[in-house]
Amino acid sequence: MAIDGLIVLDNTGRPIIQSGFRSTSTAYPLLHVDAFNSALSKASRPQDIDPVIYVPAYNNVESPSACCHVSCGDIRFLCPVSGDDPLFAFAFLRTFIDILYEYFGNVSATTMKENFDVVYQLLEETLDSGGHPLTTSPNALRDIVLPPSLLTKLLSVAGANINSTINSGSGLGAAGGPFSSPIPWRKAGLRYASNEIYFDMVEELKAIVNKHGVTVSSSVWGKIETNSKLSGTPDCLLTFTNARVLTDCAFHPCVRLQRWTRDKALSFVPPDGRFVLAEYRYSPNPSTTPASGSASATSTAIANLAKDNVPIPFSIKMAIDLEASGGSFDITLTSRLSTRPLENLVAEFNLGEGSGAIKCVASRGLGGFGSRLGMESGVPGNIGASWAFDSNKKVLRWEITSIPPSSVWNLHGSFSTSTSVPRPAHALQVRFEIQSHTFSALKVEQLKVTGETYKPYKGVRGRSIGNVEWRW
Amino acid sequence: MSVRGPRKGENYELSVDLNSEYREKRKDAIKRVIASMTVGKDVSGLFPDVLKNMQTDDLEQKKLVYLYLMNYAKTQPELVILAVNTFVKDTDDPNPLVRALAIRTMGCLRAEKIIDYLCDPLQKCLRDENPYVRKTAALCVAKLYDLKPELVIDNGFLEQLQEMIADSNPMVVANTVAALTDIHVAATSQPSTSSSDPGIFIITTSILNKLLIALNECSEWGRVAVLNALARYVAQDEKESEHICERVVPQFQHVNGSVVLAAVKVIMIHMRGVRREELIKQLVRKMAPPLVTLLSSPPEVQWVALRNINLLLQKRPDLLSNEMRVFFCKYNDPLYVKVEKLDIMVRLASENNLDALLSELKEYASEVDVDFVRKSIKAIGQTAVKIDAAAERCVNVLLDLIGTRVSYVVQEAVVVMKDIFRKYPSTYEGVIPTLCANLDELDEPEAKASLIWIIGEYANKIDNADELLGIFVDTFTEESYPVQLQTLTAVVKLFLKKPDSSQGVVQRVLTTATKDCDSPDVRDRAYIYWRLLSTDPGAAKAVVLAHRPPISIPRTTVSPALLEELLGEIGSLASVYHKPAETFVGRGRVGADSVQRKGAEFADDALSTQKALQTVVAGQQAENLLDFDDEPATEGQPSGLAATEVLSQTPAAANLLAGTSSNPLDDLVSIFGGAGGGLQASAAPQSSFGGLAPFGSGFGSNPMSPAPPQATSPGVPMGGASKSPAPPQQPQDDLLGLF
Repeated sequence: MAIDGLIVLDNTGRPIIQSGFRSTSTAYPLLHVDAFNSALSKASRPQDIDPVIYVPAYNNVESPSACCHVSCGDIRFLCPVSGDDPLFAFAFLRTFIDILYEYFGNVSATTMKENFDVVYQLLEETLDSGGHPLTTSPNALRDIVLPPSLLTKLLSVAGANINSTINSGSGLGAAGGPFSSPIPWRKAGLRYASNEIYFDMVEELKAIVNKHGVTVSSSVWGKIETNSKLSGTPDCLLTFTNARVLTDCAFHPCVRLQRWTRDKALSFVPPDGRFVLAEYRYSPNPSTTPASGSASATSTAIANLAKDNVPIPFSIKMAIDLEASGGSFDITLTSRLSTRPLENLVAEFNLGEGSGAIKCVASRGLGGFGSRLGMESGVPGNIGASWAFDSNKKVLRWEITSIPPSSVWNLHGSFSTSTSVPRPAHALQVRFEIQSHTFSALKVEQLKVTGETYKPYKGVRGRSIGNVEWRW
Repeated sequence: MSVRGPRKGENYELSVDLNSEYREKRKDAIKRVIASMTVGKDVSGLFPDVLKNMQTDDLEQKKLVYLYLMNYAKTQPELVILAVNTFVKDTDDPNPLVRALAIRTMGCLRAEKIIDYLCDPLQKCLRDENPYVRKTAALCVAKLYDLKPELVIDNGFLEQLQEMIADSNPMVVANTVAALTDIHVAATSQPSTSSSDPGIFIITTSILNKLLIALNECSEWGRVAVLNALARYVAQDEKESEHICERVVPQFQHVNGSVVLAAVKVIMIHMRGVRREELIKQLVRKMAPPLVTLLSSPPEVQWVALRNINLLLQKRPDLLSNEMRVFFCKYNDPLYVKVEKLDIMVRLASENNLDALLSELKEYASEVDVDFVRKSIKAIGQTAVKIDAAAERCVNVLLDLIGTRVSYVVQEAVVVMKDIFRKYPSTYEGVIPTLCANLDELDEPEAKASLIWIIGEYANKIDNADELLGIFVDTFTEESYPVQLQTLTAVVKLFLKKPDSSQGVVQRVLTTATKDCDSPDVRDRAYIYWRLLSTDPGAAKAVVLAHRPPISIPRTTVSPALLEELLGEIGSLASVYHKPAETFVGRGRVGADSVQRKGAEFADDALSTQKALQTVVAGQQAENLLDFDDEPATEGQPSGLAATEVLSQTPAAANLLAGTSSNPLDDLVSIFGGAGGGLQASAAPQSSFGGLAPFGSGFGSNPMSPAPPQATSPGVPMGGASKSPAPPQQPQDDLLGLF
């Protein structure tokens, strides 16, 4: 017994869709909806509700249960569990949401309502009423639940029955029907006119920088997102020139683990379509990371801290003056990159309860002219810096679309608060992207495809995103 | 629920459309019916009309009709019979999807009448050539067992499932294992069944090997099912344990977090059978990276991971020794994640990472969220108590925080300082003036009580101690009981240390406490002191100024036996809540299953006794399972005797605590006689717990290292406390007689 069912709530807390519950009582799902809604109404910030809510039994016969929940867009997914395994429930929810994205492109109450028939079918195929997840691989799902595409709609209006392949079960190749492939994650008998495979290395830097500008903690989490459109049963071998930068790896089941342990090469028969081949953590100095024993890491650990940190691609200087009922701030951001621009940088500054009356000037360079809206594209060098204040969350957002190498940007302004002591957050949250760059500088040496005669088109890209907390 | 709707309205229109001659119109109508059903409208009246559309070539339409049937089968069982023929026919359909769909839906209908028709098609589907049909049928057996176990047994489905463990398709194997496990759980939760019941899924050595093979080939969910089955397996010998561990370790590299945690669970269980130190070390080392990886997941997964990491660290403190920085809190982390991270950071604190830790904690103490700030300050205190070398730096940080003069920061810091004084007596007296300077700002009972305790303890070193305590004596009746108790004790300490200057104040407080105070605890303690002081000042000194054993941070927040059990359930709700499963969740798992488990895993009676006690306490807290850390606030009462009164509010806890006492103060027992002995007995453990109350989950979480036999014996203390001192006839005279 794992998951009792799944309920989708809209943003008013009303159920839109729910799976069949095996429970004898029809009140069971309602109980969870109520428990969740009351927890939500009690929480001061919606994101602070415990992710696993304890739901007491409504009578002595039933046993109490727990409600795991995840929010996604404007809807909430509830997953009641009465046996155990909250992580199992979360993992399933995550997978299910991914499937919904795969099918509908976005996930919202509207898409759920418009496509409820498909969502129901997906629920039926992915979650057994006994609580066991069934088919969750998008490859296999596409065989049994047709995604709602414009084409299907048009065809069905025209009266053509494109379902015939599914309905007859004969159109699925000589092997005979779905799930007959010898490799569970790959369909049998795939054919592509042009064979292509793409690898996207996406690395995310998560770091905390203290007020002296010293990196307190930083880690880079990487993912190799793959899109494979290869015919037949290709056997791929992906090798890296610097595989040692990869630590703490986790792989898609298709990767042969022995091969990786032996010579740090990824050998696999890829699933069809998009999938995550591997996840890893990058540590700049792998020799110090293994937890071989606490004794070895006394003084060396401290000495190595600086080396262990991934350099942050920018620096920030913050000067904040707080006075009674308000304050002023002056934030200067300097790019440390020498060749690439930082893109889509968003800095968020929570000004605390009761703040308002924000006056800001976002500018480039020290002597630049201020621009309230930041849209004065006519002024050279002042393009694309803007600020906005979210009065609900009390968050000041400073956005810069592109930061050329070594450029300096500034935001200064003032705010007032309704409370006498202003309590802004002690940290600035900065998110950014860097195209064609990875922190680990992981390099693919070669991709060899064997087992098939064609020469596929291969592509590798790198992309970095960052999430840095800068304290002051 | 009307059988037929009126001749107009939405349902009528739907009914017309369902009977339309155009296929598209009918299909559209079915969709609309399902849509109405979703939003809770009653469309059960359309049952016959929908049923007509069941026989179709359009798989999507068939699915929708089935969906409708599942929803209303319970309320319209007679009508479902009409559908049986189509179902049975569908299980012979050339399309495997239709066959699987039919068998799955029949299993979900849960209508008695349809079950009898289910067996034959199920028999066929279990042997179907298509793996998709086979795996669907396997799960269907579990559902059938749930409704009518005898049908499953009579038809030999169980034997068939057992054979299917050897199926060539790993997905079928995984689903078969899941089905067998479900049946096993259902069978064992009925107390009547014996171990020879065929419903029980016993994992033999040959099944074990099949499972280990399937493990590497099936889907992520299948892996979890297989791993859970492996967790139940009892290894024959050490070699087998090692074998299982080695085969399971590669699962750490799976991207799905629930697979990782299930694998951790299996390793933690089977590691018990491994004796080779080298291998154990290696396994623990391999466990760290996947756990750290879980921290890059969304917050709710992080939370589950953190709760489990907390548990694992209690067993293996060296697990993540170099990884503390990963646990640093970000401003945007949800509160529940921050709190857990904080706890783990203190667990990982060592002399190497001390500076980083303290500057983090100081940073957190300046945040906006009051709860989190308080917990951070508590964490500073815990670090000071945990690491001797850290104490001075911690004290400096606390002094800095007191300097901010933010009310709740100061108050919490004072409470924490008290713990540091407990641990390092007579070391940091220099900070006392700073603390006393903030006297006026304290308005919370715990903070007041803490400061009063400090003043009383160091009364001889504080010149104006009598003045300071005098302030509290003046407002004695307005204070809360914990503050009253502390004031009382502190004044008596002051008197014993400086009898000359404080005679007046002690008399004043004793009079007020015995005459004007409505708390029996306060009054009784006042009587005890009075009596003591009047009969034997030497004894009073020995009792009140007795040397208190220093406090320490327990390595675990749950009893060792419970910890072992929880580690066996890593990933489950039990391990997330740090409570044994049977105290809160689980479908009737308290039955034979748990008894058996205990019999198998810990053949030790003492352990289960401990667990029983543990459960009692956990049960008391079951109501607020989710807020573990709120409760201990009341326990922070520092000094020996004061503790008893506080404890007496929770007798079971007092029993527990008393049971664990090694009773270093035994020699003082004679002063009070039998009943007083109880007091001392429970005072002693309190002295080692009171200070670190914020650390764990309250009473239920205190370590119970010594054997429990004496656990129930000192049940007397609370009663004893109020009985022992005979009310003095002429208190004033007695006291005066002293001098």
